[in-house]
Amino acid sequence: MTLPESPMGAALRVTGVRLAAADAFRLSEMGIRCGTLAHVTHYAAFGGRVIAVAGSRYALDGGTAALIDVEPLTCPG
Amino acid sequence: MLASSPAALRVLLVGGPNVGKSTLFNALTGARQHTTNAPGTTVELATGTWRTGGRGAGGRVLPGQAAASSATERAIVDLPGTYSLLARSADEQVTADAVQELAAGFGEGRRQQAVVVVVLDATALSRSLYLLAQVAETGVPLVVALTMLDLSAATTDSPTATMAPEALAAALAASLGVPVVPVDSRNRTDAGLRRLAHAVDAVAEHPRRVTGIPAPAVAFSDHAQEVAHAQALFSWVEHVATALTPEPASAAPGQGLRSPRWRGRRTFSDKLDTVLLNPWAGIPVFLAVVWLLFELTTAFAAPLQGAIGQVVNGPLASAVTWALGQFGLADGWVQGLLVDGLLVGVGTVATFLPVMAVMFAALGVLEDSGYLARAAFVADRAMRSLGLDGRALLPLIVGFGCNLPALAATRTLPHARQRLLTGLLIPLTSCSARLTVYVLLAGAFFPDHAGTVIFAMYLSSVLLVLGAGLLLRRTAFRDVRSGPLMLVLPPYQRPHLRTLGMSVRLRVGAFVLRAGKIIVLTMIIVWALMAVPVTGSHPVGHVPVADSLYYKVASGIAPVFTPAGFGNDHAAAALMTGFVAKEVVVGSFAQSYAVAEPGSSTRAAGLSQRLRGSFGDSSGGHGGAAAMAFMVFLLAYTPCVAALAEQRRLFGWRPTASALATQLAGAWVLAVLVFQVGSRL
Repeated sequence: MTLPESPMGAALRVTGVRLAAADAFRLSEMGIRCGTLAHVTHYAAFGGRVIAVAGSRYALDGGTAALIDVEPLTCPG
Repeated sequence: MLASSPAALRVLLVGGPNVGKSTLFNALTGARQHTTNAPGTTVELATGTWRTGGRGAGGRVLPGQAAASSATERAIVDLPGTYSLLARSADEQVTADAVQELAAGFGEGRRQQAVVVVVLDATALSRSLYLLAQVAETGVPLVVALTMLDLSAATTDSPTATMAPEALAAALAASLGVPVVPVDSRNRTDAGLRRLAHAVDAVAEHPRRVTGIPAPAVAFSDHAQEVAHAQALFSWVEHVATALTPEPASAAPGQGLRSPRWRGRRTFSDKLDTVLLNPWAGIPVFLAVVWLLFELTTAFAAPLQGAIGQVVNGPLASAVTWALGQFGLADGWVQGLLVDGLLVGVGTVATFLPVMAVMFAALGVLEDSGYLARAAFVADRAMRSLGLDGRALLPLIVGFGCNLPALAATRTLPHARQRLLTGLLIPLTSCSARLTVYVLLAGAFFPDHAGTVIFAMYLSSVLLVLGAGLLLRRTAFRDVRSGPLMLVLPPYQRPHLRTLGMSVRLRVGAFVLRAGKIIVLTMIIVWALMAVPVTGSHPVGHVPVADSLYYKVASGIAPVFTPAGFGNDHAAAALMTGFVAKEVVVGSFAQSYAVAEPGSSTRAAGLSQRLRGSFGDSSGGHGGAAAMAFMVFLLAYTPCVAALAEQRRLFGWRPTASALATQLAGAWVLAVLVFQVGSRL
């Protein structure tokens, strides 16, 4: 599933970033890359999402959020 | 990159956006700083002198480090914030180039005393450590300054938020092999600042470099190599960060810091963002914040402006006139030059100070509190429709303070076409210099609804930006595509008054220095134009306005504005000088009325009364509609000469000239429309 499809607060793991290569690379430099643990903290207008990663909050527009694939973490940890 | 004496220790401040780097710079330099452009660019760099008392300053040398050198003055540069040295904007390139240039010097064995201070955000260590790794692998000697430690566990859910600053610094220092100094930049007496000075001096004497960094980067031949090397750095970052996590983490490499405690916990910022980023409440809150900003600049600043104007034009002008009389210079051209030219110019600058200070303070509060990033997110959709992402809102908001720094801020946008589009829209944002004219005309023509009229002008500016942006997007900028919005939202913080005060003082000072000279010079030129006769046989300085050069030029232009209701010489003359600097328009009005009717019985009447008279005459009794049309024209016709020069420098002559011609024509059409509709209501 993608970030906009994720329930609020659920623990997630990033499994794919389907942005253009340069954009995906910058996102990875900022701390969001495959394997990153995250959870959605806010739904914003027009599909935008705020996600928490390692204590930081990242705001992503709806189009960008829709290109980030995640999977739910099924066990605590 | 760094201009300093050969003996001075050079210090580069490097860090990500919003890590407290500039606050640290301000704490280290105080008032001993100034801004310059990076060579060959319009990216502003703050440079300054970091002065301490050396070993006798009372600071202590960090354990295990060499004694501090005798250097007590350091040339320090606050480089633009960046997440990476693999630059994606001109600003980031400046930072990357500065670090690489320094590294090249060390690589060639050049004798240089230089240290990079990497500023790490203690609440976002993983992100900060990646930049640190990139800097470290260049081989430059470095010291780490650890900031944001004042953010309590209630403000952030960073995995390391509960660690004591000293413990975190010690753990980092042990892991990195370089000095790590926790600093509280908001407290200038903080011992951390003195320890940072000692650490920098010590590392300059005996360079220390980060240990354990993967093999240094070579020149990458393709993107795949960049990615592969970045992965190695990510792994190193994870290794360092995981070791710092207070509780054992079972995350696999690449998973980031994690702890069961932080996941799912709502911080104070999260709770506030539930309202401020709400899909329904976020935009109204944003508009309310903007409305409040401009109420402050009118309700609060306008009375101060009036008081300053009264002092300058009353007692001060009388004192200067009296003093000149003691030297037998009263009633001559010297008095005209000094009182009606120089003093009017100085008075005009002085009356701007409250508005500018309030505007800069308000923008500073928005920025320091963390709300500005939210505003960019909330407005993302509006910007996206223009082919821009939410980040474009930042220079556009800055444009409401001053178009000049806003144009420079377009450099943070990653794509050249987005920069150009934003740069062409910025002159349509109503800078605070235009506010002085709105205050004057709204007060004169709509005294009971002045605040509403001024708000309407700012709303018009926003609509103008959107309209022009949409038009450009569908014509000359069809190729512009929006980049993804990826913003780090800083935790909300209470703005620090001393830091804010210093920022306002520096910005107001820069305004006085940069714009003040132009304003005063312009006022003198305006006076000179008025003092030079073109008809009749008048002595210089005693020219009826109808016979002056100024009047002849303005008279020639005025008929153009007749369909807009303000085809009078005073309005035309004010627009002429507004072309040079919008700050001058009010002063030009004041001066032209004062000189136009020097001996008339209405001289004592206020400027407002004179404006109502001349606008009423030129509009056939529809002075209010003419005043609105004038304000709309002023909003849209052209930025000041300084902003035009910046546009030309950033984008070249052709786009600048095309934009200027288009704006003049568009402003005229809008003004005529406003007057023709308004006069029929």
